[in-house]
Amino acid sequence: MTAADRGARVTALLSRVAMGDQNAFAEFYDLTASHLYGVAVRILKDAAAAEEILQEAYVNVWHHAGSYEVAKSQPMTWLTSIVRNRCLDQLRRREVDTVTLTSDDDDAPEYDISDDAMTPAEMLLAGAEARSVRDCVDALDAGPKQAIALAFYHGLSHSELASHMRQPLGTVKSWVRRALERLKDCLERAGMGR
Amino acid sequence: MNLSRPDRVARLDALAASYALGTLPGRARARLARIARTDTVVRSTIRAWEERLAPFADIAPPINPSPQVWRRIALRLGLDATRRVDRGPWWARVGFWRGFAVTSFVAALGLALALTQLAPTAEPIVVVLAGQDQQPALVATMERDSRTLTVKVVGGAPVPADRSLELWMLPQGAAPRSLGLVPSTGIGRLTLAEPPDVALANVPSLAVSLEQRGGSPTGAPQGPVLYTGRVEKLY
Repeated sequence: MTAADRGARVTALLSRVAMGDQNAFAEFYDLTASHLYGVAVRILKDAAAAEEILQEAYVNVWHHAGSYEVAKSQPMTWLTSIVRNRCLDQLRRREVDTVTLTSDDDDAPEYDISDDAMTPAEMLLAGAEARSVRDCVDALDAGPKQAIALAFYHGLSHSELASHMRQPLGTVKSWVRRALERLKDCLERAGMGR
Repeated sequence: MNLSRPDRVARLDALAASYALGTLPGRARARLARIARTDTVVRSTIRAWEERLAPFADIAPPINPSPQVWRRIALRLGLDATRRVDRGPWWARVGFWRGFAVTSFVAALGLALALTQLAPTAEPIVVVLAGQDQQPALVATMERDSRTLTVKVVGGAPVPADRSLELWMLPQGAAPRSLGLVPSTGIGRLTLAEPPDVALANVPSLAVSLEQRGGSPTGAPQGPVLYTGRVEKLY
């Protein structure tokens, strides 16, 4: 089953789950659990914590499947983002709890978004549907590519990336920033080409 | 902050990218998430980044959770747990592996995690040792409540018959300390003198050197260092 087939199947199942269809929920679990668990356990490095997050996510899906907005995002993206964000929240919260943030805290958001609302026309959705991400990733240099892969799959922070890759913190930060910018530009170009 | 409007758009975009990737530090992360709950522009900027990065997650190898997970979910929701139709793992079906292009480093780490999953409550320490070519050669795992270090050979060059691979801790500001010999193929087990948290407290990385058969006679590495790996302390 390709990612697209799976997405279509998951969308169909979700609409049945929203109506309380237990069989659909079971099939939905079968179809998605090992994918979501892989995402969670790679970030948390902790089987019990990853299972906990998975349980919460599925309980939520059962209760809130109806509120999933099909038009706005792919269902697997939606699910994966929920799981990833909960894992990252947990990971980053642990850091705040246990470490005094110093060098890695200088990119905290300083600007206050609430006093400068943008119009919906400015929303940055242009590249959202592009699926040529692999080509765009391939085009990145080795260091930046590895940095964003480690951050994405394993939840490494900037300072962890720096120590893992034996590079200065500033280098790693600019690798990540530039890689994301390039990725976005590349995807937008690919999206416009359609 | 008194940024012009285009700067603010770019800044929001960078923050959303960092949030979606996961590198945004704790407080900044919590703050942006709080703002996103009420601000649709922030929310959709984050979502756009999640969409962009989604294919990364699509290509990562899946790992099966313990069957307990489904049972607990069913129990909590008052569902009939036996309804689950076992259709075989979906990832084994044709098509999923098409276009599979995740780096072998990530795959090896995923594999290591899958192996250590057998002890469901542990938080294993995983070290992937790789050579110059960045290809993983050995994966070392340690359960935190055990003094056993398990080494699995996943790649690397063949070891000549008259040589041995020796595993070293590389403590910060101190000489390498031998952990023992590792096999040239398969799985080996070494015993740590102390629990891993204590033994590795000041050890940012491990290394494997090629020594004479039976290991270095001097207690210090004599042969070339073939593989190194960072000790990830992410728990």
